[in-house]
Amino acid sequence: MALPLETLKERAAGDALLARFGLDFDCALLIGDGDTDWLVEIARGAVVRVARGPFIMPRTDLRMRAASDVWSKFLAPVPPPGYHDLLALRRFRRIQIEGDIRLMSAYLFYLKRLFALLRAPAA
Amino acid sequence: MKTAREPLAGYYINLELLGRPHRLYVEEAGQGIPLLCLHTAGSDSRQYRGLMNDAGITRDFRVISFDMPWHGKSSPPAGWQTEEYRLTSADYARMVLEVCDALELDRPAVMGCSIGGRIALVLAVQHAARFRAIIGLQSGASIDPYYELTWFHHPQVHGGEASAAYVSGLMAPMSPDADRWETLWHYMQSGPGIFKGDLYFYRGADGDIRERLATIDTRVCPLYLLTGEYDYSVSPEDTRAAAERIPGVKFSVMPKLGHFPMSENPALFLTYLEPVLAEIRSRG
Repeated sequence: MALPLETLKERAAGDALLARFGLDFDCALLIGDGDTDWLVEIARGAVVRVARGPFIMPRTDLRMRAASDVWSKFLAPVPPPGYHDLLALRRFRRIQIEGDIRLMSAYLFYLKRLFALLRAPAA
Repeated sequence: MKTAREPLAGYYINLELLGRPHRLYVEEAGQGIPLLCLHTAGSDSRQYRGLMNDAGITRDFRVISFDMPWHGKSSPPAGWQTEEYRLTSADYARMVLEVCDALELDRPAVMGCSIGGRIALVLAVQHAARFRAIIGLQSGASIDPYYELTWFHHPQVHGGEASAAYVSGLMAPMSPDADRWETLWHYMQSGPGIFKGDLYFYRGADGDIRERLATIDTRVCPLYLLTGEYDYSVSPEDTRAAAERIPGVKFSVMPKLGHFPMSENPALFLTYLEPVLAEIRSRG
């Protein structure tokens, strides 16, 4: 798994930008790399649970899946152009984004920050 | 901290624009060759604060920027409350010319970014003789839509924050945090539906000028296209595709910059802009 999602809950705890942009955010977010799915549960702006799949019939609000090598470039400390942002991946059709796009649009700063937090080395 | 006054000043003009009375906010600094700067969709003239504060530029250039109607400190026209704002290519080009006339600018240089970069191309096609030079930042002749506009004007989504979030990734990751977030703040302050309305011509058939690029005569007016490498809305490849259709155009890629070069990292942008301005200055 290219994305260190097992550490996401710790990375997100106390983050000032997530607090700023996560007001009343509830979301079941599925993240995949082609091999593995992860389910991130966000309640009132806090990451409360991260579970590793496979899942049989998960209830999700948003699903974001990209190939493992795409996530690897996305996570580089200085990502190359076109791999540096969730919508950059979308622009070049490197990520599938499905689900409640209204919710995504309302909380896009939060979601971008959540993925960017995976970029830093683990504490 | 010592108080410092910036050398730029703002004022309002009342004029007829697109056949209707408007109250428009204008900022400027410097003297010499007029350089009219056009802001991006959903933002305002504050994007050019770096240029207006650079003594090396304002020594020889009168840098001017106006907030388009509905943007920044400019008012929407009377009766706006029953209208949906939709910018068309023809209105945008006409507005630029009418502002030039109102300010009595003598063959100004014009520089626009994003939608302003697109209208720079339109001006080069239609009105080259009115300008001494045209500079397009993040200029593309068309755009490949990769997101829906619905959520930029919807009662359940904060349009300003959504607009800012959508464009946030267009900046280079290494641009200074303070300037990146300043750029986003301008987006957060935009009026409801304005970013969406600006993109009306930009994303539609109305604004697609690919087939007209070959008619640009750079002997009448020099055309410069500068594009930041991290922009994925108008990527360097998009600008290169446009440039390949325009004989005599000068195109360059700006490393470590994105979609808002003049606002996301003014100091770095000026290193790319200065050689262009030197050419304009030497031609007079």
